[in-house]
Amino acid sequence: MNVVTNNNIKCTIALAALENVIDPEIGLNIVDLGLVYQLDFDEEGKKIFLSMTLTTQFCPMGESITAAAKRALETTFDGEEVILNLTFDPPWNYERISEEGKKFLNY
Amino acid sequence: MFGAFPSGSLVKNTTHKVVVPFYLYAALSFLVSTVLLLLSTEAFTQHYFHPHILALTHGMALGWGTMIILGASHQLVPVLIERSLHSIKLAHTSFWLAAIGIPLLVYGFYVFNMGWPAKWGGRFVLLSVICYFINLCVSISKSKSRNVHAYFVLAATAWLLLTVFYGLSLVYNFTYNFMPKSSVAYLPIHAHTGVIGWFLLLIIGVGSRLIPLFLISKYKNDRLLWIIFFLINAGLISFVLIFLFAPGNSLFMLPVIAVLLGLMLFSAYCYQCYKQRIRKQVDEQVKISLVSVLMMLIPLIFLVSITGLLFSNDISGRMALIYGFIIFFGWITAIILGMTFKTLPFIIWNKVYHDKAGLGKTPNPKDLFKSRIFSLMVVTYVAGFILFITAAALANVLLLNIAAIILIVTAVLYNMNVLTVVNHKAKML
Repeated sequence: MNVVTNNNIKCTIALAALENVIDPEIGLNIVDLGLVYQLDFDEEGKKIFLSMTLTTQFCPMGESITAAAKRALETTFDGEEVILNLTFDPPWNYERISEEGKKFLNY
Repeated sequence: MFGAFPSGSLVKNTTHKVVVPFYLYAALSFLVSTVLLLLSTEAFTQHYFHPHILALTHGMALGWGTMIILGASHQLVPVLIERSLHSIKLAHTSFWLAAIGIPLLVYGFYVFNMGWPAKWGGRFVLLSVICYFINLCVSISKSKSRNVHAYFVLAATAWLLLTVFYGLSLVYNFTYNFMPKSSVAYLPIHAHTGVIGWFLLLIIGVGSRLIPLFLISKYKNDRLLWIIFFLINAGLISFVLIFLFAPGNSLFMLPVIAVLLGLMLFSAYCYQCYKQRIRKQVDEQVKISLVSVLMMLIPLIFLVSITGLLFSNDISGRMALIYGFIIFFGWITAIILGMTFKTLPFIIWNKVYHDKAGLGKTPNPKDLFKSRIFSLMVVTYVAGFILFITAAALANVLLLNIAAIILIVTAVLYNMNVLTVVNHKAKML
């Protein structure tokens, strides 16, 4: 799923939290869908930087998905500020879907 | 840290308070229209210019089709133009004007009173469409994104405005006789600018965006969509010009061919989207919508076979009635039955779970309606639709009544599921 990070341990915990965020249209979580691009953590343990995308910029559920991703990290990393960067460059493509995700979609 | 990734922006959704009333109004109109259908079965054995048929057609076209499409487009336009809707007040005004105008107009036709009920009904509907058109134009003018889907919606709304204005003129022509011929002679223009200009262009514009989105398709072909846009608009403009200035001319087949070609290309577009989809399992609502794309071709093939008769003023009234029935109860209704349960659950899900998503497992939007009622609705709809066409062709009033009752059941089931979705309360799984 190619998530760039500067802290592998925290990234694993964060991804586990983000697996609870489901794209309601597809029914698949945003990690297996490949929407998470980058997760960085500052050294003071105060800030989390999440860079993610959506399957399309036109996604009507975009607000809910990004809000849910932010909320999932804030709940897991209590007291840390989550800074979310929504990007469409590079745009999402189906090659970002994990093997688990492809099985889920019967692809 | 994030220098490599330029930020994207999210489209602000239109509040459910604007959209949901349109859906509820449309659902009720569908039920009322099916009851009107039962009350008008005798008329289906006569000429299409019958007060009950006019009332039924406007109940279906405005109360059902237009209201739900206006509701959905208030939600979808920001998604298409990547900008929030210009004015929520104008959206509310548009709803209330149409909500008052449509029953007046339908009543005016039903009792054939072309005085104040039809005139005020028409005025209110016209004002409603003007409000929507202004809202759309300002929203698009402020948007940086210019895409083919937005142009489809803009052109469709311009055709709707023209259709409603022309329709109101026809109502006035009953009283003041200012047109060269009687209003009946101009009905084909009014009907086709509405059906092809408004419904077809809008459905293609929005559908070409939503179908790949729902299927998670890799297919994209804006060039093909522009060709379809050109073919349908050119076909419709030439139809109006030929009808007004060269009636009976053999060129009349050109617009029919242009629109038919546009439809075939759109079917090909949908097929490619389907073929190149990532999501292999397609849900029932999308399947119905895809089937309805094919259903677009049925009325047009029907039209080809009766166009000659239309221009020679020797049209079989029954054929024209079946043609109209296929359009409103077939193609448009099939799309709406499918798409309602694809779009409305999302709107309500966003409202109910916006603050709860990410905190635990929530139901999916498709869990917000009852799938058994949905399946039953589809079965009754297909049975009622096929039986009605058969009965209309045979001019059998008993069968027409049975078919109309089956369609009332469809409408009741549809209303039940719409209310189930709208009244959904949050529950974490």
